[in-house]
Amino acid sequence: MKIKLIPSNEQDLSRVFIFLLPLVVLLTASVNFLRDAFMSFSNILPGNQVLNYGFLDKVSNQVSFNFLFSFILVLTVVYLLSKSLGRSIIIFPIFFLTGLGLIGIEFVDVVIGFVAPEQLETLGNTSMLLLLKILLVAAFLGLIFLNLLAKKEPSIFLSSQFLIGAVIFYFISLLIFRSDYTVMSDNFFINSMYLSTHIYVGCSFVFLAIFYFLITKGLGATLFSKTLGTISFWGYLFLLPWTGFKYFYGTTLPDWIENVSIYLSISLIIPLLALIVNYSKTVATKENKEPIFSVLISFAFVVFGITNVLQIVSSIANVTPIVSLTNFEYSVRYGYMYSLILIMIPFVYYLVPKIYGRELTYGRLESFNAYLIGICVVVSLSLNALIGINSGFAWNAGANAGNPTIYGEGFLITWSLVSASYTFNLFFSLLFLLGTFLFAVTTLKAIIGGTVTESETVLEVTGDSDE
Amino acid sequence: MSELLAKVAELLGAPETLVQRSAEARAEASGNTVDEVLQSWAGGESVSSTTPAAKEAPAEEAPVEEVKEEVVSESTQVNVEQVIEEETVELKNESSLAFIAGVIGVAVFTYFFAFSIPKNQSADLVAEALNNEIVVSQEVLKGAEVYNQLNCQSCHTQNVRLLIPDSQNGKILKNKFANETIIKNTGLLRLGPDLSTSATREPTNNSNWLARYLTDSASVRDEIPHPNYDFLSATDLDYLLTYLLSLGEVNE
Repeated sequence: MKIKLIPSNEQDLSRVFIFLLPLVVLLTASVNFLRDAFMSFSNILPGNQVLNYGFLDKVSNQVSFNFLFSFILVLTVVYLLSKSLGRSIIIFPIFFLTGLGLIGIEFVDVVIGFVAPEQLETLGNTSMLLLLKILLVAAFLGLIFLNLLAKKEPSIFLSSQFLIGAVIFYFISLLIFRSDYTVMSDNFFINSMYLSTHIYVGCSFVFLAIFYFLITKGLGATLFSKTLGTISFWGYLFLLPWTGFKYFYGTTLPDWIENVSIYLSISLIIPLLALIVNYSKTVATKENKEPIFSVLISFAFVVFGITNVLQIVSSIANVTPIVSLTNFEYSVRYGYMYSLILIMIPFVYYLVPKIYGRELTYGRLESFNAYLIGICVVVSLSLNALIGINSGFAWNAGANAGNPTIYGEGFLITWSLVSASYTFNLFFSLLFLLGTFLFAVTTLKAIIGGTVTESETVLEVTGDSDE
Repeated sequence: MSELLAKVAELLGAPETLVQRSAEARAEASGNTVDEVLQSWAGGESVSSTTPAAKEAPAEEAPVEEVKEEVVSESTQVNVEQVIEEETVELKNESSLAFIAGVIGVAVFTYFFAFSIPKNQSADLVAEALNNEIVVSQEVLKGAEVYNQLNCQSCHTQNVRLLIPDSQNGKILKNKFANETIIKNTGLLRLGPDLSTSATREPTNNSNWLARYLTDSASVRDEIPHPNYDFLSATDLDYLLTYLLSLGEVNE
């Protein structure tokens, strides 16, 4: 195994990323587990400035939605963009530095959070850091555009389309995050749109980019319909950014935007159906008969599908007032993130032989781990959705009975309904942590000690500039 | 042609259907016939010369770097083209620009119509409907900052909604101009109790009880887990208490 610290092409860079990715996922799962533990047992566990729910929740968001997301985004763009465009990345050194800067600045946020937790409020949100982040994403986007315009083939991968969409909305989300808070409703506007553009669009588009790559190239299948893929792309691009407002139903947001959010969330059924048909028909032609590989992709797809269904269900008139402002939104937020983590596992398994030239054998451990992680994620999402529905019902029932269950004195009733779910959630969070540990072990084992096999090479484009 | 196709498929290690479609796409792009393309893939020096190398590659101790060098060449190009044909959306060269413009267009549309315009509209509505500019002391503002740094807003809202379940129980926040920290403290998710009227209720209107609850929550209420902030300095705790005891008094 040979890893270059200063890579000379996208293959070298992918090599570094694949080595580090399982460790970053493990870090994310560890922080999430700690946060869940301090949610359920905060009055029993010894706490301090770092080990308390408030701090861990901030760090968890920072690690999951910023650091891990940027890491996966850069890895995916580095590897898939060149494959999608049929050529090696142009101006690679600048591309490398920009990607590194993007990941680095997110990582610095996490590190400073641990070193100086009292400064956490200002992390990732200061004018200087945010401005730097915006500049880096803008440069990254510009380089992607250059690569797209410089391509040779009269065609483009669906994967590339989704990646470009993800980076553009990442950029938009950062601009939104810089907005001023002048009245109370700004809190909902800014956070809702940041959530929608950064997490809903960002995570789902990176997921879909990898997904389309794996169900065709990974499974050796032929894409059923390009048109359905395009419908998914434009459908999600138009609809997803609007879907966050409904979780602030009844707040000081204008009524019209809450209603638009509800209708557009229901419309998610269109790209979802297109995706389901495309997936099922495409998978029917698969050549790769490795069951674990397919199972992992299926789990990721199921989680993504469930997340979409949760978005649609929460738009039903009688359900929206109950689930808004509750944990229900957590299950949607983490649904997109978890589907991305789940699809990364087969992606890494696919890339290890390609990039390192080491065979990854699908043994009992890999099989067990695929089911473990998949089931943990599905159960965890269901529990968060259940917590949301239960607490929402408790508030409604409490109001009808004249018992103010949203306040401290009546909250015990609400807590009695949701505490068991929180405890189960913690248990599955622990299992998920175990799953990510096993993922790291299997990947590193294959990289270090796997049987040598044929590796993929970078396509050197010759004579491009002349054409 | 089928024999040729089978030979190329074997050489490339890919299904015949894919090879055929790749060859058709290549033929269309280059202006040659499918047979010519297949012939070039099957009989080309690069293909024939790299195939044995690929077979030799999986030597037990062979470093990956060497494998890489041996496998490079025309065959890889063929593979990449094959992938592109397999799962791409057809675009003409000039359509890349149209695609980029389209995505940017949607992003700009979303930014203005889902964010910027309704945000300004909402601010105008609040400004017109209400006339209670918020006035709070410096101690309360410092307490609000401590509250924000501890991330209390990740569990607690200060946001009674216009819905029956909420409005039957309390009042609706409607401050017109407020400090940014105070706005952020309104919270986005209600995992714990809402605090918008905390200072008007028993026992959270009692500063001694509140101080004990914040530093050793189990000593006064152990049914619901709550973090202990015993690491706070006495000054910060005082600021936090001042802020919490102000909730319900302002913003009405």
